Amino acid sequence: MILNRKNKFYIFIFLLPACVLVGLFVYVFLSWSIKVSFTDWNTIGKMGKWCGLDNYKQIFFNDPVFIRAIKQTLILTVLFILITLPLGILTAVLLDFKVRAKRLFRTLYLIPLSFSFVASAIMWSWMYMPNQGVINSVLRTLSLDKLAQPWLTSTDQALFAIVLVYVWQFSGFATLVYYSGISSVPIEILDAARVDGVTVFQKYQRIVLPLQKPATITVLLLLLMYSLRVFDFVWLLTDGGPAYSTEVLANYMYRVTFNYNRFGIGAAISTFMFLLSVLIIIIPVIASYIKKYKGGKK
Amino acid sequence: MKKFIVITLVLCICGLMPLFSAGASEKSAKQDMIVYHWWTAGGEKEAVDALFQKFLEYYPDVNIIENPVSGGGGGVMRGQIKTMVMANNSPDTFQLTYGTGMLGSFEEILEPIDELFEDFPLPEMVKEMGRVNGRQVAVPLNIMRNNCLWYNKKLVDKLGIDANFHNFSDFLVACEKVKRAGYTPFVIGAGAGQQHWLAQMTEQMILGAPHGGPEYVSKLYEGKANILQDAAIREMFEFLATLIKKGYINNDYSALTWDQGADVLMTDEGVFYLMGDWAKGHFTAAGWVPKVDFDYTTSPGTEGYFTLHFDGFSLCKNAPHPEITMKWLEFITTAEAETIFCPLKGATPPRLDAPTDMYDAISLDILADFRDPKTVIVQSVFAHPPEEYLGVFGNMLSGFMENPNVEQGIKDYAAAYASIF
Repeated sequence: MILNRKNKFYIFIFLLPACVLVGLFVYVFLSWSIKVSFTDWNTIGKMGKWCGLDNYKQIFFNDPVFIRAIKQTLILTVLFILITLPLGILTAVLLDFKVRAKRLFRTLYLIPLSFSFVASAIMWSWMYMPNQGVINSVLRTLSLDKLAQPWLTSTDQALFAIVLVYVWQFSGFATLVYYSGISSVPIEILDAARVDGVTVFQKYQRIVLPLQKPATITVLLLLLMYSLRVFDFVWLLTDGGPAYSTEVLANYMYRVTFNYNRFGIGAAISTFMFLLSVLIIIIPVIASYIKKYKGGKK
Repeated sequence: MKKFIVITLVLCICGLMPLFSAGASEKSAKQDMIVYHWWTAGGEKEAVDALFQKFLEYYPDVNIIENPVSGGGGGVMRGQIKTMVMANNSPDTFQLTYGTGMLGSFEEILEPIDELFEDFPLPEMVKEMGRVNGRQVAVPLNIMRNNCLWYNKKLVDKLGIDANFHNFSDFLVACEKVKRAGYTPFVIGAGAGQQHWLAQMTEQMILGAPHGGPEYVSKLYEGKANILQDAAIREMFEFLATLIKKGYINNDYSALTWDQGADVLMTDEGVFYLMGDWAKGHFTAAGWVPKVDFDYTTSPGTEGYFTLHFDGFSLCKNAPHPEITMKWLEFITTAEAETIFCPLKGATPPRLDAPTDMYDAISLDILADFRDPKTVIVQSVFAHPPEEYLGVFGNMLSGFMENPNVEQGIKDYAAAYASIF
């Protein structure tokens, strides 16, 4: 399309509503939230006064729960991604084999993704119940009583129990993206490899999986974006307990803001979450641009 | 192309017109009344529905826009109200726990309604609970007594236990007897999002502690306690640690909601349950008969004390329909409204002149205590401290439940206390 003045005008007109809406509902409110983080607003209905960096000093130097929430958010993120990514690759590779009822398996893998978070959380909370829950009941039936645990109610394992629920819900998404990536590997390359006598293992190790880099970046970025702001399962399954052992940043931010009425501190936590997400997510993006730029120069 | 775009834009604007006009027509409908509450469970839902129905009989031209928001003992609804107020979209009225701390947390958005208290027969202490800066800002609808120790009457009778516990030692003796008989002595239900019940439970323990009592509880909630030095806090932790260490508490307490905790009594597995009088509604709704299947006594060491809060309603600042909302608030101060609402909810009426012939034996006991001038009224943890108290202490105490180390518990309690006051 030729970008003449008339077309530019139409492009401007069509982009304008989206720009206005994003500008208003993302950047204006984001700026407002950052501004609030510099106020001592802690009474509903009464705006606070400017307090400089006091809220940030408070959360970083006087709030052990906040520090704990950062650590636990990062642990959850790392575990979630370290388990979900390989699981997605493995199931996508298995689906790539000539198996019977491939569609059925594909659907089965994807079903958890289609569940509402509330329904999933209620289902898992029943499964995790110490006495009547299906997990402990099965373990006891198999005479593995020692393995039966108070899954969600022990400070030692509640966080891991939540990670498992996130993996269950999102591994289907990773499978879907990887399966699309594997299916789009050009058939000519695979035929040439077969003629050269590569084994099945070599086919995946040297051809198929190295070509999944774009899929990996997509899955990684989306899972990262999601896991850094996890809230739903934590709120529904443990509400950050017991004894803050599953407290994560988003849950703590909600608690501080809407239960404790410390709007300034809540805004400081949300600003920190925003900066953390930007930092973690923007690094790979910048790295890929630099690489692309350097590659282009060559 | 240009023509196409112009037509598209015009159509879009036309499409949006009804939205603007809907907003305008809503504004012009003077008789709407926007109400938020958290009554969605059996009993309470029927009670509030009956109340609305009666109000509509008196004011048939009112359109009640009802917004029930369940969860977290009202915490979810309160969060929603705060976001609405921040967006300058206040409702007319919303349910709020009637008590100085909770009302104080909302003082900037509540209108004074002193005129409704001119002929409102309530104990002076109860009126005082609804005042912020000397002005009444809410009306109470029903009493909720907190220091109730419920018990499975058949099991207690079978085991020959005298369910009058004047101190912690009496109760521990009974617990040992129950445990030896193969039952769970003391049931707790404080699962995810319900850890605040631990704060409610320990409040009764502090009240009943040898160095506790009503004055200490008030001092505690006003930020004047010295946690590291005060004997009542240590006595509470020692008592709770004994209950935990001796295996008197159900091991799935942190997976149960409060009503599931009550169910443990009804399945004849557990014997005692420390919970507010709303548990009575749950028992009777399940078919249990008061004084036959279950009964209550005051929690150990709290005889003569009445820990309470109320469900109340307030008038929001910038309420879109203040006139009709005042009529609603006036209506719920009447004996008629309390008589419609309280029996259905399983609660008791705060008006001293409200008729009593429709209440069961347990409610009558509670009412008799409430109306007895010798009874010492104590504002509960839901009413007296600031709103965040429940959340902070619920979480702190859930750590103690897993690791019942008294010294560590006192330190954690002091840290949590310092974070609020």
